[in-house]
Amino acid sequence: MFRRIDFFRGGVIAVSVGVTAILLMAIGSFLIVPSWGAVWENMHSSELLFSLRLSLWTAAVSSLLVMLLALPIGYALSRFSFRGKAVVKTIMDLPVAFPELVLGLCLLLLFGKTPFGKFLQQSGLNFVFTQKGVVAAQFFTALPYAIRIMKSSFDFINPRIEFVSRSLGYSQWETFLNVTLPLTKSGITAAGVISFARCIGTFGTILILAGGSAGKTDTLPIHLYLNISYGNMDMAVTSGIILIIVSFMAIFIFEKTEADL
Amino acid sequence: MSFLEIRGLYKNLREFSLKGINLDLEQGRYLTLVGPTGAGKTILLECIIGFYLPDRGNVILNGEDITRKKPEKRNIGIVYQDYALMPHMNVYKNIAYGLRKKTKQNIPEKVQEISESLHIDHLLHRMPKTLSGGEQQRAALARSLVVRPRLLLMDEPLSALDPSTKKDLRRMLRRAIKKYGTTVIHVTHDMDDVWTLGDEAAVMHEGHIEQKGLLGDVLEKPCTDFVAEFVGCTVLEGKVLSRENGLTEVDISGTRLISYDQAEPGEKIRAIIRPENIILSRTTPEKVSARNVLAMRVLEIEPENGLNIVRLVCEDLTLNVVITNNGLHDLELRPGEEICAMIKCIHVRLA
Repeated sequence: MFRRIDFFRGGVIAVSVGVTAILLMAIGSFLIVPSWGAVWENMHSSELLFSLRLSLWTAAVSSLLVMLLALPIGYALSRFSFRGKAVVKTIMDLPVAFPELVLGLCLLLLFGKTPFGKFLQQSGLNFVFTQKGVVAAQFFTALPYAIRIMKSSFDFINPRIEFVSRSLGYSQWETFLNVTLPLTKSGITAAGVISFARCIGTFGTILILAGGSAGKTDTLPIHLYLNISYGNMDMAVTSGIILIIVSFMAIFIFEKTEADL
Repeated sequence: MSFLEIRGLYKNLREFSLKGINLDLEQGRYLTLVGPTGAGKTILLECIIGFYLPDRGNVILNGEDITRKKPEKRNIGIVYQDYALMPHMNVYKNIAYGLRKKTKQNIPEKVQEISESLHIDHLLHRMPKTLSGGEQQRAALARSLVVRPRLLLMDEPLSALDPSTKKDLRRMLRRAIKKYGTTVIHVTHDMDDVWTLGDEAAVMHEGHIEQKGLLGDVLEKPCTDFVAEFVGCTVLEGKVLSRENGLTEVDISGTRLISYDQAEPGEKIRAIIRPENIILSRTTPEKVSARNVLAMRVLEIEPENGLNIVRLVCEDLTLNVVITNNGLHDLELRPGEEICAMIKCIHVRLA
């Protein structure tokens, strides 16, 4: 028996496979183009190790801060209705649509030019062209993604389970700890991993707020960019390979936890 | 002063609202609360337990105004239709959850006792998602009852279950509630819950309580047309003709009915008849104790919940009669046929 040709089905599948193939070729070109000897050598160079270390610790700190704030904000947006909720939601989502460069410029103006920024500088928190700025840039870039994941993961929990916990004598805070948090374990992992990947990959925001100074604020993406501009392709590719490895690991963990959601 | 007093409770949630609820319930009573979808039954429960703060009005429990008290301080239990068991805890931990907050002593013994009485003692190690609906609901009930709540609220606890599980669970529920002497408000759509579980019944409609009273009164003497229709009564408008020997004769658009209820001649009344209080017979008996013997015609027969509703007419009078499949089979009824309907005078209620 012959199945009738279904143009719609065939069309959408062909598009999916075609685009995946192009992406795969683009990623694969990383493995073909460089000279592996140079890549191996670059992996041990002090500049790259500095960038890797800087990327890892700043991303760890920023994703921790992101999660600390995404939990309460996601919960508030999921569970409570309050005046100005729509505004909070829109503003929190803005950075998703903003070009990173614009976000970076906004932060540069906030921390550099406003009385609030001046006050922070006097208190010892200088975010402009410093490693603290790297953390701030990563934080604001990743926060909306984490809030979205946390909100939908709280939405997924039946609020009646929390009601029952309260009717059995547990306060709102105790209920959050005993019931809500354990039930949103996979959501927290997913949001954490995505935040970390987003922080590691942040480029434009860091470039504007923290500057792209080598040996000071050059995280892996900045390192990659600087080396391309110097014409040092092998070094750029080496940073790229490390970034790809980190992204793949993040997506792998994310997919794993998403299956449990 | 009643155990539970609700005074002038208002809450507006746009699509659902409460518009001045007043309700009294004595300790140890079982109230079934019925009403169509959107009547505000669930919000009323959630205002009583404290998940919503009413816009106006008071909830008083055992003499204490608890309107603004936090839910965790009220000691009121709740059981939902979708069980709301904690999915990350096994049945034992679910039942012990509330106990752990209140006491450190005899937790295993208390969990064992309540699980035995609800026949779930063999399921204590299981996770909720591995249980059937009936088992989950018994676990949820055990979790609420084991902490001995002052008041237990149930929001359609049986409506997600299949009919035979429902019947079993009703029996278990009745026994457990009696054993613990719990005061209960049970929201339901199912008139079988009202018949079999409640001491009292209340009918809600558009944010009001239309009628609340002893079960028999609400079912047999509904005070509004809405309640009558909701509880399945036939309501007939008429006028009292006479009152003799303790019996009242009323005229319902040309048909005369005798009632045991009191009313004054000339008074306009509504006669209320429940469909299961009418007896049908193929022949008209010569001597019979029923005061009302009516020659009627079968209009239609409709099956409903394993029974049959027979609609009868006689001039302008229409009556619904409920009969079993066996009754229908013995009478060999067909639409258009003549039939004799008998109603005892105590079953013709006047309002």
